[in-house]
Amino acid sequence: MPKRLVKVSIAYCAECGYEPQTLALTEALMKEFRHELSEIELIPWYEGSFDVTVDGELVHSMFRDGGFADHHAVIAAVRRHQAEAPEPAQGQAPTTTAR
Amino acid sequence: MAVTRERFEQGMTYDQYKAQMTRNRERFEENERAFQPTAEDLAAFTALPHSLPVLVLAEDWCGDVIDNLPLLGRLAQESGKLDVRIFLRDQNLDIMDQFLNQGQYRSIPVFAFFDDQLNELGRFIERPESVTQRRDAKRREVFAEHPELGSPDTPITQMSEEARTQLMQLLASWRAEQKPAENAEVVRALRAIVERVPA
Repeated sequence: MPKRLVKVSIAYCAECGYEPQTLALTEALMKEFRHELSEIELIPWYEGSFDVTVDGELVHSMFRDGGFADHHAVIAAVRRHQAEAPEPAQGQAPTTTAR
Repeated sequence: MAVTRERFEQGMTYDQYKAQMTRNRERFEENERAFQPTAEDLAAFTALPHSLPVLVLAEDWCGDVIDNLPLLGRLAQESGKLDVRIFLRDQNLDIMDQFLNQGQYRSIPVFAFFDDQLNELGRFIERPESVTQRRDAKRREVFAEHPELGSPDTPITQMSEEARTQLMQLLASWRAEQKPAENAEVVRALRAIVERVPA
């Protein structure tokens, strides 16, 4: 079964000098997943932000969790989302698991 | 670990700091030009009995440095009573770690005021708490007035691009309008430190 293509969004404070941490995480994701991501989105923001979302799930927030995202934790979150069943194509019934 | 006179004098002067900036110099100097201290504010610094050493930690990429260091620079230039020496934070962590925000964070700018014996009189870190609170209150007000933006607690990465763009534009215009009031808060905080110096 092909892996789901996952989107990662990184909102970083563009007036806080967070570019190195943002680019380091981006590079880590690019090297780990290559074509297995649908998108890596970089969002310049402010107010000290460093938020990482994987397919809509907030996996790291500097405000909530403190500090920058651990690369291994983000990679694990991507893998978890990849393992979820892909959305059915139009016209097909959703995949169900027999009980 | 105190800051010695020898260490203090290793710092850049204000003009040397500006000369070594590799980014944001135009914004920095615009803030310097636009700052209009009141006569009363300036008098608080001019009236100092002697020049005070002021140690600064800064970096040219930091928004709070760009906002607030120009104010200190103008006050120093116009009063002639502040001997400002500036250290780049990331190259001077030995100094930075003596002025941690809440004992934990390497926040900048730091403006540390000393007497002539280099005993600390007080410090200013990052921005006044009143400014932080006002910005947060405005952010919540914007969300309340624009329900299409969703919840103020929604992470930026979970907002649509349209909503993010709208929010950024609303907050950016407000922050520009607030600059004089925020500058006044900064000067108030600095005055509170220097007014401790006996006449």
